[in-house]
Order: sequence, then structure tokens, then C-alpha cells
Amino acid sequence: MKRCDRGLALLFLLVWIPIAQAADLIPKAPDRYFNDYARVVSPSTAEKLNARLESFERTNSSQILVVIYPKLPEGAALEDFTIKAFRAWDVGQKTKNNGAVLFIFVNDRRLRIEVGYGLEGALPDIIAKRIIEDEIKPHFREGHYDAGVTAGVEAILKAARGEYRGTGRTQADRRGKGRANWAPFAIFGFFLLMMIFSARRRRGTMYGRRGRTGWGDIFWPTLGGFGGGSGGGWGGGGGGGGGGFGGGGGFSGGGGSGGGGGASGSW
Amino acid sequence: MKKFAIIGGVVLLLVIIAVVSYNSLVGLNQRVDAAWAQVQNVYQRRADLIPNLVSTVSGAANFEKSTITEVTQARASVGQVKIDPSKAPTDPAELAKFQQAQDQLSSALSRLLVVAENYPQLRATANFRDLQAQLEGTENRIAVERKSFNEAVQSFNTAIKRFPTVLFAGMLGFKTRPYFTAQPGAETVPKVQFDFGKPAPATPKP
Repeated sequence: MKRCDRGLALLFLLVWIPIAQAADLIPKAPDRYFNDYARVVSPSTAEKLNARLESFERTNSSQILVVIYPKLPEGAALEDFTIKAFRAWDVGQKTKNNGAVLFIFVNDRRLRIEVGYGLEGALPDIIAKRIIEDEIKPHFREGHYDAGVTAGVEAILKAARGEYRGTGRTQADRRGKGRANWAPFAIFGFFLLMMIFSARRRRGTMYGRRGRTGWGDIFWPTLGGFGGGSGGGWGGGGGGGGGGFGGGGGFSGGGGSGGGGGASGSW
Repeated sequence: MKKFAIIGGVVLLLVIIAVVSYNSLVGLNQRVDAAWAQVQNVYQRRADLIPNLVSTVSGAANFEKSTITEVTQARASVGQVKIDPSKAPTDPAELAKFQQAQDQLSSALSRLLVVAENYPQLRATANFRDLQAQLEGTENRIAVERKSFNEAVQSFNTAIKRFPTVLFAGMLGFKTRPYFTAQPGAETVPKVQFDFGKPAPATPKP
């Protein structure tokens, strides 16, 4: 029995470690449309643009995000980082691939518009480049981040409008807010259950309690215990700035993908 | 009688394993071919941009002719590498030849863009700016799709070497697929990148 437990623990580690490492490289998907982890944009502008982008998904189904980081991760190349994040976050609807993300790295003074396959027609590289050069950069050079991102978002929405038709609902509506990334927790819970059961068989009692222990008693404490930790632990992306708002306006990826379309720039 | 039942059971099990392996390999194989089609797609996109680029830079006063010739020749030699766009190559030599031709075009293009740096008037035109944005985007797409292709090949190659699939893969006609080999600088591409933001030494800050 003892050896069996150790084997399970080892198996759990083998499963767990690769997941944890993969999560380290790319920050987890943002939970809002407008995410300012560098805290350079005023809360009112952030709130306004987030609402704009959310209603855009309702009316046009295209998912447009803005993500502002203080800086690129150590040693990461801009285009490599943005496409990996874009694909990991599943931006855009699955069948349309109609996502776009405006990435801004404040301290690096670099930015990129990453465009999904389905928006390459509406937002070709030339347009993306012009939005960066003509709409965003002049404001950023002056240090006016609010004006820059507002102009950039308006220009992106103008280009992407009408390309697809929305359903009136967002992915977040469809899935409920608690979607998150629960697969690792499910695996964790599974192994924990197995350990609990093997321990139970050995000792016959659970948590020192006498008598019968039902499924619910075992299962729910497990989930509850880890559910508490799931909120903040996975951040990885700097400040976790956008988290405080709550309420509506949550983003949830639709399963879209991209192939490196868009444009980059620096100011 | 019992012996037959055991043998029958083992044979049935083997057949089931073979069918399951075959089906998963077919799926992975399709993914490799789909990724290859995307690679072809983005390379074609680049080839289509070149006539426009050449005519734009030729218009600039006394632009270095040798770099233009180099690009057009490299593009022509890319066209000569005949390769099936719908099916990823199984022969490493075939892929190497394709890659060599494309890489030659990459370096000719980046040389041309470096030379263009010396022509501020050319760089100031909207046409050149747009072309540059398109070229940057295309090079980035090439890097992305090549990487996706390599990932698809990797999962396919891993699958056919795994037990028990390795017992059937050869019999079912699946062979390992070759990868794109990374060259220094070829994967990340910032070679062809230009910053409009940083003023060149000669031109005043906009």
C-alpha cells in the first residue's frame, strides 16, 4: 500500500509539472477585454473601453482585446510572445477565428496588433501598421496613454466592424464566469481522491471521523480547498491589475486562432 | 478449445490496437499536411509581393540594381523547386531543397531592405511603407507557420515511434516526416524589421 501511494504521488508530479511549466511561459488568458497590468490608463477609460469591446463581441462576434503589460518577459521576442499568447487564449470564435489583440509593453516602448486568421481581410497588415503609426504612436510619444489606446481601439473596431455578425451574446455569457482553467484541478482532485480512498481503505476512517463518510463529504472539501487558491495563483502576467472590477464585461476565449498577422511598432 | 479462444482473443486485441493506432495516425498525418498547406500559402504570399516591391524600389533614383537582380533571381529559383502543395514532403532532401531556395530569397530580400535604408526618399513614400508592413507581416507568418508545421511533424513522428504503434506504423505505410531546420535568425525574423519610430541618423525627428 505504501509503495502504491508513492507511485501515485510520482504520477501526479509527472502530470502536474509539465502543466505548471507551460503556464509559466505564457500568462493565463485575461478575464476582461481591456487589461491594463501596467496601470498607465485611467480606470474610467479602461472601464469605458472594456464595455465598448464587450458590446462589440455581442454585435459583431469578433473578440478584440487590449492587454497592457509593463514589459515583455525576460528573453522573449515580441512576435513570438504575442502569437503564443494569442493562440493560448483562444481569441476569436472557433469557426471564424475573428480575434485581434492589441499588445502594449510600456517599458519596452513596443506594441503589436496581433490579428486572427479570420480578421486578416478586415485588418490587413497595412491597416494594422497604419493604426499603430498614425493613431496610437503620436499619443504615446506624448505620454497620453488614454488617448492612444482609445484612438487605437476605435480604429480597430472601425476596420473590423461588419465583417461578422454577432449573436447578442459573448462567450463569457455562454459559459458562465466560472469557466477558468479547471482541468489541472480536476486532475489534482482525481489523484487526491485516489489517495484518500487508499488511505481510507487502510485506516477505515476519514479525517478521524467515525462511521460512514458519503461521497459528498469527501469530494466537496477537496474542491472547496483548492477553489480558494485558484483566483490569484496563476497570474504570471505582472500586476493582475484588471482583476478588481468584477461584475460584467468578462472575456472568455471562443477557440479562434491566428497565424501571425498584424503589425508591430515602437514609440 | 481453450487454446483457440486465447489465440483468438490475442489476435482480436492486436487488430483493435492496429485499428486505433491507424486512425490516430491518419489524423496526425492530416494535421501535418494541413500545416504544410499553410506553409506553402505564406511562402506564396511572399512571392506575390515581390513584383510590387521590385517595381517600387526600381522607381527610386539610381537604386542599386544588383540587389534587385538578386531578389528576382532568388524568386525565380524558388519557383523552380517543384513541390506538392497539398502533401508534406516525406523526403528530407526534397524539403531541404525547398528550404534552401526559400532561405536564399529571405536573405536577398533582407539585403534589399537594408540597402533601401540608404534611400530616405524611397522610405518616405506611402507605397514603400505599406510594402514594408506587408513584408514584415509575411515574414512573421512564415515563421509562425513553419513552427506550427514542425510541431505537427513532431507529434506525428513521436506517435509512430511510440509503442505499440511502432509495431504497425511501418506496415501501414507511415514514415517519419522531415522538419524545417532552424537557421540562425531564420526562425525569429527580426532581420527584416524596421522601426519607423527611431529616426535614422540623417533624417530629422518627425
